[in-house]
Amino acid sequence: MKWPSLGAIASVAYKEFLHIYRDRRVLLLLIVLPPLFTLMFGHAFENTELTDVPALLIDRDQTPRTAHFVEIISKDKTFHWRMPAPDFRGESDLIGNGVKATLVIPVGWTDSLNKGDPKPLPLYLDDSDTNTASAVEGAVQKNLGTFQSKERDLLVESLPEEVIELGKKLPIDIRKQFVSLMTAWSAESKNLYNPKSRFIDYVVPGVIGLILQLLTVTLMACTIARERESGTLYQLLVTSLQRGEIVIGKMLPYLVVSICLVVVIMALCWWHFEVAFYQPHALALICLLFLLCSLGLGLLISTFSRTQTQAIQFSVFFLLPVFVLSGAFAPLEQLPKAIQYISELFPLTHFCRAFRLVNMYHAGFSFYVVDLVVLLAGALITFIGAAFLLKRIEQ
Amino acid sequence: MSEPVIVLDHLSKSFGNVHAVQNLSLTIAPGTIFGFLGANGAGKTTTIRMLCGLTHPTGGNATIAGTDVWKDRQHVRTKFGYVPQRFSLYRDLTVLENFRFFGGAYGVPGAELERRIKRLLRLSDLEEKVNAAAGSLSGGMRQLLAIGCALVHDPPLLFFDEPTAGLDPVHRQQIWNLLYDLSNEEKTIFVTTHYMDEVERCTEVGFIESGRLLAKASPRALKSSFRARLLEIDVEPLMPALVQLRDRPELLGVSLRSGSLRLYAQEPEKLMARWRENWPFPDLHLLGERWVEPDMEDVFTAYSQGYDGVLKKSTA
Repeated sequence: MKWPSLGAIASVAYKEFLHIYRDRRVLLLLIVLPPLFTLMFGHAFENTELTDVPALLIDRDQTPRTAHFVEIISKDKTFHWRMPAPDFRGESDLIGNGVKATLVIPVGWTDSLNKGDPKPLPLYLDDSDTNTASAVEGAVQKNLGTFQSKERDLLVESLPEEVIELGKKLPIDIRKQFVSLMTAWSAESKNLYNPKSRFIDYVVPGVIGLILQLLTVTLMACTIARERESGTLYQLLVTSLQRGEIVIGKMLPYLVVSICLVVVIMALCWWHFEVAFYQPHALALICLLFLLCSLGLGLLISTFSRTQTQAIQFSVFFLLPVFVLSGAFAPLEQLPKAIQYISELFPLTHFCRAFRLVNMYHAGFSFYVVDLVVLLAGALITFIGAAFLLKRIEQ
Repeated sequence: MSEPVIVLDHLSKSFGNVHAVQNLSLTIAPGTIFGFLGANGAGKTTTIRMLCGLTHPTGGNATIAGTDVWKDRQHVRTKFGYVPQRFSLYRDLTVLENFRFFGGAYGVPGAELERRIKRLLRLSDLEEKVNAAAGSLSGGMRQLLAIGCALVHDPPLLFFDEPTAGLDPVHRQQIWNLLYDLSNEEKTIFVTTHYMDEVERCTEVGFIESGRLLAKASPRALKSSFRARLLEIDVEPLMPALVQLRDRPELLGVSLRSGSLRLYAQEPEKLMARWRENWPFPDLHLLGERWVEPDMEDVFTAYSQGYDGVLKKSTA
């Protein structure tokens, strides 16, 4: 086996480049889609806070105290309140009212507070997405807490002098405990990674990886399948080109194109979403290995597909679980352990992890070296596999 | 005599129980235009694919210019050009880009490549189409381009699978003129075809049937190996005659040629003598009879239908 010749690789690469260049529709797709997807995904995941949830607030008690509570809760940005008349019925018909939640202040609530036997407020919730309901409930609780502490302050202020005097007679340590129980206890939190809590910073590798994964795998998957379909593959195989030269030559132009796309997407993230990038060398290495691994996968799909249609089908079957399970847009840790093992098979998983370790944690090489090794191994296995399958055609 | 370009030595290929090629042995001398004939499925394509190193022989071996076609297949590919049946160049690339790609793929150095491309463009009459996309060329020009690209590494041998299928007579003539030029330059041409007039243009012909080589000789020798004369009759009405005669057990076959029926029979003289006495077809009129020389189609039909044995001149 002799070493691959650079001239032969260059011939194949140039030919493949001409195919890309001549296919104007795909070329247009390559130029337009990545920036468009970046903007779309970026804005979609820019903010994850729940705001403006449509909700009904029915105040059937209509007292100054309920008015105070309504004033507090209507300032909360979580909700977009509508306040129908107190005699409005049908609070449990959420979709009929076009809302996600209904909060009712029942008649006699103020009285129940005064009597020392507070009635609970009925809260109707839509938990179909398993997400909104708990967020809404939390927000209502929080507002009730705010209301409660304000009411307590008012009560303390209006206490008669005798009570204060009486309180002073209590032992000092009991009094201190009492005072600290009267204020809310808190934790002083400090976000060490992603201090500004910008979700976009977390999601950027997912955006880059997803777009690149989609384009590299599908485009690459078509290259050999197309030659097989148009009959040029045999013509190519009877030349004195070695299988390795064909594989490397076919991959090179796509590698160059994808590197350009990575640069475009990162520039857009930096300029439009103000995402900062650290350790450019490390990021470049991670991107390169990820691209090689993805291109190899596409090539592997290409060598065992009979037609371009099949190649696209195989690509979609592969890409679908990747998109859902790779942790591009949500932490992998949310998934069950068994599924996490499957996720470890996808190059995108390792790309996102390594990218975040560098860009958000500013972690050292030793933290992500395993991911790099996995990506490198993936690239080697797929390229050698593709060359091997190409050899199998001559049987 | 110079060294043969192609040597097949008991070359065989089986796919499971299917024996596509069986014990094929032949040699082809340089400068030969070798016509490889056989019905569809006779084993022609499998043989060519083995010679191109695309599929491995299950028995025997073959060499091209002394190089084993399977053990040394990377190297043997520089010794031949291959023009497949289906147009297999890159349609989105121009004529020149196709030439340059294949030149580069075969490792032809730059300056030499440009010189050869210039010459091949002239030879294939494509100088005016240099910058046209290959897909926009007419059928004949595509085939000329395919030949040009197969010659860009200057191989001593050219495989040519049905070079003129679907082409009009003018372009067929043009392709053959190019092949004669190449043969004149001592290039060997291995061609498969179904056109009998093209078989006559070959300097040597091999017949393959069910994976076996049945004959290999010059067209003249092949024809003269057959019974010197074949019986041709004029009958009316023609089509009912053809249909009725086809079913006669004493006839091996019937073919329609320019309004006459050519009959293949074991002993045509005796048959005709019987028919003259007692014409067995009351609704058919025998208008005339004559004896003709067999042509290439007769030879091909005889071989592929398996009655070559009865039609061959007895050597005794």
